[in-house]
Amino acid sequence: MTTYIVALTLGVFFGFSLNKAGLTKYNKIVNVFRFTDMAVLQFMMTALVVAMSGLYILRGLGLVTFPAVPATYIAGNLVGGLIFGVGMALTGY
Amino acid sequence: MKSIMNYIHKETWSPYVAGILLGIVGILAVWMSNALLGASGAFENIVGMIGKAVAPAAFNNLYFNFIMPPGITYGVILLVGVFFGGMVGAATSGTLIWGKKDAANSDEQWKRIFGPQVWKRWTIAFFGAILLEFAAGIAGGCTSGLAISGGMLLAPAAFLFIAGMFGSGILTALVIYRRSY
Repeated sequence: MTTYIVALTLGVFFGFSLNKAGLTKYNKIVNVFRFTDMAVLQFMMTALVVAMSGLYILRGLGLVTFPAVPATYIAGNLVGGLIFGVGMALTGY
Repeated sequence: MKSIMNYIHKETWSPYVAGILLGIVGILAVWMSNALLGASGAFENIVGMIGKAVAPAAFNNLYFNFIMPPGITYGVILLVGVFFGGMVGAATSGTLIWGKKDAANSDEQWKRIFGPQVWKRWTIAFFGAILLEFAAGIAGGCTSGLAISGGMLLAPAAFLFIAGMFGSGILTALVIYRRSY
């Protein structure tokens, strides 16, 4: 039950941050591919840098253990990414 | 305090501020529940649940038994939260246009490129979403589950995925926006 409440709360903040960064809008998503609005990259990379430094500090302090890292299949990850980009530019997801 | 409230009511935040918020959410997900933030997996969990009830034979395969087990998973609950979080975000900036005219196709840029018809918006979104889900299934995650969550654990898969995503995204945008790229 606690897990579900945590999941729901984190989800709300997740959705909130996506909305405030403008990632719920078609034009924001597609304009990053046209190099006219880099908000998506700025948002993603900021999140990445904050999360990776935070997590590695916490692991260094012995406070967290990492969950299983997404598996590496070079062809799968790359082909998946290629198809995903088409869908992303079309839908604005 | 007042300036914080004003900032919350702003429609678009600096992507850096919103990114810091998402980064903290990502840390908390790992720290509190040893889970990653994912969005696309939840749909597969739900489809697996429906599929197992409707056509058990067709869904009795490796993918739905082991890779994406059906059920109300952490990801499904998270996705419900994302939906409401997005609504809260829009509501605080006063842009929540649920049920109003043009709400189904409100993006000016989209209308300029594809036209104002709602059915077009929904058809392209539908087939684009099929591509997205399919690709996320192949790659093992989507922008949030693989690129951001995998990236923050420095998984090579995430960076391969980001490279593919931007490569083909740029090409698709080039094709759609031929003249006005």
